[in-house]
Amino acid sequence: MLLRNLDQARIVLAITVAIFIAAALGLPGFLDPGNLIAIVRSISVLGILALGMALVVIGRGIDLSMVAVMAMSVAWYLHLLNAGWGDHAALGVTLGAVLLIGAINGVLVAYAEVPAIFVTLATGSFAFGFVRSQVITSDAVNVPARHWILTLGQMRPGGVPADIYVFLCLAVAAFLFLRFTKWGRYVYYAGDNPVAARNSGMPVRPMLVLRYVIAALSAFVAGLLTAASLQSINTRVVNSTLLYDIVLVAVIGGIGLSGGKGGVRNVLIGAALIGIMLNAMTILDIPQLYQNLIKSTILLVAIVVDGLLNPRDEQTAQQGDI
Amino acid sequence: MTPLIRMERISKAYRGVPAVREVDFDLRPGEIHALLGENGAGKSTLTKMMAGVVAPSGGRILLEGAEVRFATPSAALAAGIAMVFQETSLIPSMTVAQNLYLGSERFLNRLRGTYISAQQFLQSLNFPVDPAAMVDTLGAAKRQMVEIARAVHHNARVIIFDEPTASLTPEEKRHFFALLARLKTRGVAIVFISHALEEALQISDRITILRDGERVAQGDTADFDREKIIAAMVGRTLSGALYRKRSPDSLRKPGRKVLSVQDISQGRMVRNTSFSVFEGQITGVFGLIGSGRTETFKIVAGITKRDFLRGGTITLDDRPVRYLTPAAAVADGIVYVTEDRKTEGFFETMSVAENLFGGLLAAPHHRAAIISLAEMRALAADWTARLNVKAIDDSARVVELSGGNQQKVVIGKGLVQKPRVVIFDEPTRGVDVAAIAEIHRIINNLADSGLAVVMISSYLPEVLNLSDRILVCRQGRIVEELSPLEASEEKIMYAAVH
Repeated sequence: MLLRNLDQARIVLAITVAIFIAAALGLPGFLDPGNLIAIVRSISVLGILALGMALVVIGRGIDLSMVAVMAMSVAWYLHLLNAGWGDHAALGVTLGAVLLIGAINGVLVAYAEVPAIFVTLATGSFAFGFVRSQVITSDAVNVPARHWILTLGQMRPGGVPADIYVFLCLAVAAFLFLRFTKWGRYVYYAGDNPVAARNSGMPVRPMLVLRYVIAALSAFVAGLLTAASLQSINTRVVNSTLLYDIVLVAVIGGIGLSGGKGGVRNVLIGAALIGIMLNAMTILDIPQLYQNLIKSTILLVAIVVDGLLNPRDEQTAQQGDI
Repeated sequence: MTPLIRMERISKAYRGVPAVREVDFDLRPGEIHALLGENGAGKSTLTKMMAGVVAPSGGRILLEGAEVRFATPSAALAAGIAMVFQETSLIPSMTVAQNLYLGSERFLNRLRGTYISAQQFLQSLNFPVDPAAMVDTLGAAKRQMVEIARAVHHNARVIIFDEPTASLTPEEKRHFFALLARLKTRGVAIVFISHALEEALQISDRITILRDGERVAQGDTADFDREKIIAAMVGRTLSGALYRKRSPDSLRKPGRKVLSVQDISQGRMVRNTSFSVFEGQITGVFGLIGSGRTETFKIVAGITKRDFLRGGTITLDDRPVRYLTPAAAVADGIVYVTEDRKTEGFFETMSVAENLFGGLLAAPHHRAAIISLAEMRALAADWTARLNVKAIDDSARVVELSGGNQQKVVIGKGLVQKPRVVIFDEPTRGVDVAAIAEIHRIINNLADSGLAVVMISSYLPEVLNLSDRILVCRQGRIVEELSPLEASEEKIMYAAVH
């Protein structure tokens, strides 16, 4: 009852299982424990980003600044550490900047009523341009030696990388928030009909700001985990297709771009499909260019299907009117 | 006379749910044919099949004896069948002339020539509309004139009007009816869908009544009267309770003064208006569209803000208030039930239970941070029973309900917040006859239980029969207060227009 598009989620789950079985039968080495862990690890960063995106999209918004926030905040953090700042001071400054970007996104969308797509596109470019031109001098910044991020990247509790635990914890937290708290339900009401939600007395605008702040924070966490596994952060990721992967995970899992629909389960399903697919394509040695082509085709199809399944259009609504 | 259009055993089902069941309908040239029925009776669907907007799932349509099948509305338009929609389908950012010739522009489209021919054309119809005016600057009546002109311009032989008079003032209505008469003399056949039975009786030649997708009555208008129509529409005879004469002891005495509004202003829509609202009675507010009544009460409910300078004062229980958000008003017990339930009333992808629960979650007395699904189900069971909401079960989506039940859900969503002041804006707009009576009962019960009730309405019988006092709004201010004992439709209308 709370998740309306059971159908889409089920279809995608079935496709995921089918691809998994096909890959397990056809691809050598796919079922190795090492490869399976690699799949889950590859989707944990994507999944954390998608959780933040999902929260925003359920509230009928979109955050295109997430990848820029993720890369630039961590790059700045590492740069400050390399420049000899203390850990607390460096973390405080970058975390403050992350919260500020999230708050600016939220305030401009909620109070100035600028479309989210433009606000977040602009703040994302700003974050990238500012940090790249004013702070760091090269594309990549390394994690300083003996830092806790390196330790995090090497932790294997129970033989499983730490990022997977972080992803699962955040997923559970997001699930509990959306499903069982009053404010989590407000997200759905505001996503379904913002005017009705506001007129009923829900704090629609403060909640909107909160969502963009949480999205920025999830980007920061995803950035830290990326730095932990690669021992550096490469700011070129901002110009990669990662942003589209995030949207792809959310939309293909069944979180309607028109708002008010979906949940953490949909993010998990979408992330699983994308993770398995990317891994299979890599084992098959499909070049990056073709992988992008395939992903963008899937995104396009997913958005079209989303538009058909979740119409929010005066005329279509009228057709159903008897 | 041979019919222009003949629909034989026509049917339509939406996802297996029949909306129209084997209806026979015919339309003669030069007649005004009123199509009546409750919401959800299938009137819109029937006419949409005629105009090619939806495809029938059974039966056939004959145009002058030859079977036709319209794939698109433009195919129907080419055959001379035009539909004027409830929500106008004009492009607001274009001029009247551009809208008029929309879709029939020449390749080289000179604006000046368009304006001249549009001017001549509008004059020939006797429409006082400036062809160079932007559509979004026009009022509802003039927009409708442009729509009609567009239909006539396409040489339509059949024009379907879906609730054409809902947004018109009495003056504009008279013009509209005169126009229908002129179209009729030109041999145009007109289908007229309306909730206003008096209008249908006044202007139509024949009447067809639908109920639950089936045709229950058809005949010459002369053979019908109000009671007969209502009986056919609802399938039983309603008592004339709504139209009884008020007696002095049927009026509720005013209780404590809850709300006092002094000189509030907002731009050009609300100008220095003042009034009071009392506990335990219904304050009826009548005004024509554009008189600022909705705007005034949206300020009271904190949805919009009054002017910062010289905006006047609002006192709630002798305490001056200035709400920045609706949440603050809800916290003080003021609830506004919207006139436009689809865009700002209910949550369309959600169930009845979730809609009602949304009201509770936003209410000041609901403090728990963790929600309980059991609480939601209990709340839904309680309120659907209290308001007599007819749905398959609580998990039915609101969009799937009829207009009357949707309205009850929207009312319930406000009432679960335990308000002290309830503002109903057009509580029975687009609601079927049976549900109107139930909504009136709900409103009466609220006032009897001591709440301060405000009811904004442009439906005069409703204002006269429910209100304990009547405020009349004109040009952004309350201009007159009447007692229902002394008021009549004429008196109220006089105050509203002069």
